[in-house]
This record gives sequence, structure tokens and C-alpha cells, in this order.
Amino acid sequence: MTSGVTSSRRSPDADLPAALRVRDLDVTFTGRRGTVPAVRGVDLDIAAGEVLVLLGESGSGKSVTARAVMGLLDPGGVQVRSAQTVVAGHDLTAADPEQVRKLRGKTMALVFQDALSALNPVLSIGDQLGEVFRIHRGLSRRAARAEAAELLRLVGIPAPDRRVRDYPHQFSGGMRQRILIAMAVALGPRLLIADEPTTALDVTVQAQILQLVDRLRTELGMGVLLITHDLGVAAEIADRVAVMYAGRIVETGTVAEVLDGPAHPYTAALLRSVPDLAQPGDRLRPIPGSPPNLLALPSGCAFHPRCDRATEECTVTRPQRRALAVPGRSAACHHAEEAVDAPV
Amino acid sequence: MPPSDHPAGPGPASAGPAGSTPTTVGTPTVLSASAGPNTSGPLTADAPTTGEPLLVATGLRKTYRAGRGLGSSSRVHAVDGVDLTVAAGETLGVVGESGCGKSTLARLLVGLERPDSGQVRFAGLDVGTARGTRRRELRRAVQMVFQDPVTSLNPRMPILDVVAEPLDVHKLARGAVARRDRVAELLEMVGLAPDMMRRFPHEFSGGQRQRIGIARALATEPRVVVCDEPVSALDVSVQAQVVNLLAELQQRLGIALVFIAHDLGVVRHVSHRVAVMYLGRLAELGPAGTVYQDPAHPYTRALLGSVPVRHPRERGRERIVLAGDPPSPVDPPSGCRFHTRCPIAQDICARETPALLVPEGDAPSVAGERVAACHFAGTPVTPGRE
Repeated sequence: MTSGVTSSRRSPDADLPAALRVRDLDVTFTGRRGTVPAVRGVDLDIAAGEVLVLLGESGSGKSVTARAVMGLLDPGGVQVRSAQTVVAGHDLTAADPEQVRKLRGKTMALVFQDALSALNPVLSIGDQLGEVFRIHRGLSRRAARAEAAELLRLVGIPAPDRRVRDYPHQFSGGMRQRILIAMAVALGPRLLIADEPTTALDVTVQAQILQLVDRLRTELGMGVLLITHDLGVAAEIADRVAVMYAGRIVETGTVAEVLDGPAHPYTAALLRSVPDLAQPGDRLRPIPGSPPNLLALPSGCAFHPRCDRATEECTVTRPQRRALAVPGRSAACHHAEEAVDAPV
Repeated sequence: MPPSDHPAGPGPASAGPAGSTPTTVGTPTVLSASAGPNTSGPLTADAPTTGEPLLVATGLRKTYRAGRGLGSSSRVHAVDGVDLTVAAGETLGVVGESGCGKSTLARLLVGLERPDSGQVRFAGLDVGTARGTRRRELRRAVQMVFQDPVTSLNPRMPILDVVAEPLDVHKLARGAVARRDRVAELLEMVGLAPDMMRRFPHEFSGGQRQRIGIARALATEPRVVVCDEPVSALDVSVQAQVVNLLAELQQRLGIALVFIAHDLGVVRHVSHRVAVMYLGRLAELGPAGTVYQDPAHPYTRALLGSVPVRHPRERGRERIVLAGDPPSPVDPPSGCRFHTRCPIAQDICARETPALLVPEGDAPSVAGERVAACHFAGTPVTPGRE
């Protein structure tokens, strides 16, 4: 994944600095039961206006990666290290927590999955949204509320001037998710990280939220890191995809490249295990076994016990992620070249 | 298991009440289709005569008190007049947005909730009024698999006791050896090693726990298993394992499945017939292939249009994107409940509740198999989908 920043796909934003550049991110949790290598060697590149979808199952390290970038991991028992972390031109590699805190909201923002627990139940939406403007821009309460109403309009909430007075419980799940997105984009961040923003929502509402994110990244020129386990969400909105397994990125590429010719057997297996609406087949082909326990990772390639291409080498040597023939594509598999050419 | 040619699949009549005219569903004639209330013989024995639905729900209604306020008189209309049938050995999928009443329907079908009106009949017996032995037999015959495999298992019980509990309740295993043997058999049936029975739920992964939940449901040799979002809590790579397991078990044991899920792809994959629910009512009901490929109700079309694309090249496809959220079931819209979000709604839709009818435009090849509750069922919507 080297060409993301220099990609010319989104030429209008070519002058803007990359929204995100991460090199060799490691996150380690230390607990009573041992040391958990939650994230290992993660590289991320997101250009301004680009959507990178980080795809993986639970425990693969996607959310931890997002929180590490945002500086939101509790320092007790967690070690975060990276060779380089740059958010929209701000080098955070050796930044102290206070410097990172100042960038949150203004330069980078996070949208959580669970909109109800992310909102304060006893404050009106106008107060919560307005707080951003009062703190960061020193606006009066009245002016902040007017800005809040404007934001609600931006994310498509009907009758925003009336609804700023309402409380979180008076909104539906989809509306609450819109409000969280409004809060995140309030100060025009260069990087928006959305952690499973549609997982708890119905497909009808999911479609609306994805359209909203897509519109905002174009209008505001934000880079978006969207975390999901849903291949459909990636197909719907991603420019590029990074697939995570057991704390590592195992494959990167444009969304079409990855879906058409997955270079990692894990990605290929995921694609096969999802029912296709257009071609309801005989049987699904599930991936045997379950995602690995990070406390006791398999030797060699972490995927080898579930992999249909595993050879002797895979059980011994962990494959390094390496660039493939197509620029911008990479995979961490000894058999990546065979995998790309195989029919999905 | 191609849903279209499943040998145990229902005949054309099962979309409507067997023996009645193919144009309506939910008329009282549905009762005459099933056996009388005095049917004798064990409920768990042979399948009923072909074509006769195993489970028949008629006019099911269930409301709950809304809000916490004292004297609050508003009620949530969770299920509001649902008629459906489940034939022996078939899978009926139920889809719809959250709050549409899917889970309440599931609980009504297994008898965990009493309907305010209407009834559920299993093999001719009213599930709500059965007492004593009959009631226990009904409980045996209709089982449920829950969504969350973690909270549906008692964390302090070894798997042996978790799976054996229904055996104990129904006195289906005499003696410790028989009990253990039966549990071993059940665990093997769901693809778990029998020697795992001494372990506790926390020692299992999500997929394994759902297998345990399925083994427990199968313990009483049920005829119908109602699965409420059985794979929603599982990782993508594990979902397919459980979906395949359910399909296999159905073929092997001939059980009927009611498969409730919000994932339209999974429902399409497992179901012979699909019921689409909107705000407590059925919008459309028919063979999975017909409903998915040629949806008659505008809500079904919108729902299918919201499913994410399979490939970025399909991003530009035309589709109906529904604005807003479903209205509140506390105060549902008049007439057709979908009219407030419907792209083709006319005046009549706000006034008159459409009946579940065979759409006029349905080709003779599928006519009678599929019904939709829309005054303009089958009318193309502009912009048309695809």
C-alpha cells in the first residue's frame, strides 16, 4: 500500500495533504492473562476525499487501530507504537496526549457504532452539537444552537430548527447516527473515522447513512476511514480496501481489485461465505474454524489452520505483506499470485 | 439446497390457504384447511398429509403498552393481523426492518406470547388454549433458537445440562447414561465433539454457542423450529457454517423452519417462501425466488433496493431509497401502513387497508403462489429498479 497518497484518482484534492498516513502501527495490551498483540505492523494511507474501508471480523484489530490513531486508548495496560503517524499534515508520531487531544474534533473525528450510548441522554441535541462550537469557537449559546440546526440540516434531519431542542431518545436509531456524524463533521475535519457506523441499522437506513457519508466526503473533501465487517458496505462506498486478520493487514487494493481477484485466501474465503442475492447457490462455503485467539496465535501465517492453500511453509514462516504486480496492491500471503488468478 | 426445487418444499397452495380460492389469504377458510381440533396421536409423529400446513396462524394481533407513564393508554401495535402458514419441512423466511414485529411474531408462533386475538394452530390444535399433556406436547413440537448465543445459555451450567434441560423437562431420557448418550448424539448432530459436554458456555466461540443453542432446540425432536436472528450476532466467516448446519438438519430431520432475520441475503439463501413484514402486517408473501426477483409490493422493492451492491460497478443502479424511518407502531398510519413512505401512493392508500391478494399482473406460472397487500401491486415504480 504505497501509492494511496499519490493516487491521482481524486485529482480535485491533489493539493491537500493526505488525510492519514500510518506506518508500522503496533498496539499491545497487557493483562492478567498475558500480552495481546492486538495490532501489528499496520500501514494506512488515505488521500483527501478518499474512502478506505478497513474490513475484518471481530477481534481482527480494526477498532483498536482506529482508536490508536485517534489517541483514544487508555494508557494503562496499552502500548501504542508507530514508525509514523501523520494526520492531515500534523505529525503525531511522537506527540504527547495533549497535542493529539487538540486535533480531535478539528482535524480528525470519530463516529462510533452505538449512537445511543455515545450521546448524553440528559442534554438536548442542540446543546450537545452546540458544545463543539462553544468550546472550539467560543460561540454564544444562541449562535451555537443556530450552527447546530445548520448541521442537522446538512445531515438531512427534517425540521432542524425544531429538532435541536429534542433529546436523544426522541430520535430513531438512524437519526441518532446522523447526529453523531453531524457532530463529527462539525468542525470540518480532514479525517473522519467511522467505526461500524451502520452495523446496528436496518438496510434501508444503512443505505441512507452510506449516501450521507459519501456526499460529505465529496462536499467537505474529508478522507474517510470506514471500519466494517460487511463486504457489501465496502462494495457500496470504498475507494480502496484494507483487509485485517488477527491484528494485521493481510491485503490492500482498490475495492474492485480486491472483490474481483482477492490476493489473500482469507479475503477469497470471506467472499465465498456470503450469500449472493443474484445467484442463490447450493450451499454456502464457510471458512472452517473460527477467528484465532490473539493470546495463542497459530505459528507462521495466522490464517493457515483455516486456509485451503496452506502449505508447509505457511505453518512455519509468517508471510510479510509485500507489493504485488498491480501498483497499490499488497498481500501477506506466500501464495498471493496463485490466489489473484484463481476464480472467486 | 436450491429453494426452488426442494423436495419437501410446499406446493403452490401453501401461499394461501389450501383449498380456498387463490385470490385471498387470511379469510376464515384457512381454518378448514387444517385438521380439526380433536386430532389424536402424538404431535411429534409422522408429517401430516401432504399440502396441509403444519403451523397455521390466523389473524394474529399483539399489542404492548407503550411508555412507562402511569395510565398511559397508548399501545404498540407489534403484530396487527398476520395470517400465515408453515408447511412440514419448509423454511419460511421473515424479513423486515427493526420494529416491524418479526420477533413478536416469532414469540407468538412458539407460544411464548399470547396473542390479543387470532390464534396459532399446530397440527390442528390451538396453541393458546391447549392444557396439560397437550400443552407439553406442543411445547415439545415447536422450539425456538434465539439470536444471542451468549445470553441464551446459562453460564453456570455445563453444556451437558444445558442441552439436557429440555430432555429433563419433558422426561425424554431415563437415567444418567441415556441422558448423556442423547446429549452426545445431539452435539454430534450439530457438529460438536461429544467430549465437550463437560465444558461451560464461556469456553466456546460464538458459532459453537449457537450450535449448542440449536442442539438444545433439537433435543425434543421438534417439528417446527423458529429461529429469531440466529446468525446476526456471528462473525461473517462463521455465519455460513450455521446457515449450512440449519439447512442440513432440515433436510435430515424434515423439520420446518421459520427463519427470521434482517439480512436479506441469508433469508433468500435458506428460505423456500419469504414473508415481508412492515409495521406489524404482511406486505408480501410468496416463493423466495418470486419475491426477490419480481417483488410486487413497493416496500419489498425498496427493501431489496437498499441491500448493498455486490460490486462497485453496480453503484449507479437505479433504486428506490426510502426516506426517513418506519413510522411509530404506537400510532401507525391509516390505510396502507406504507403509504407515508411509498413512491406510488395514491389517495386510496391512506383510506383503505389493502388486502393480501394475488397481484393482477402475475404470470400464470406463478399466479396464486404469491400475495401482496398493495392497491397497486406490481405497478412499476419510476424510476424503476434496474
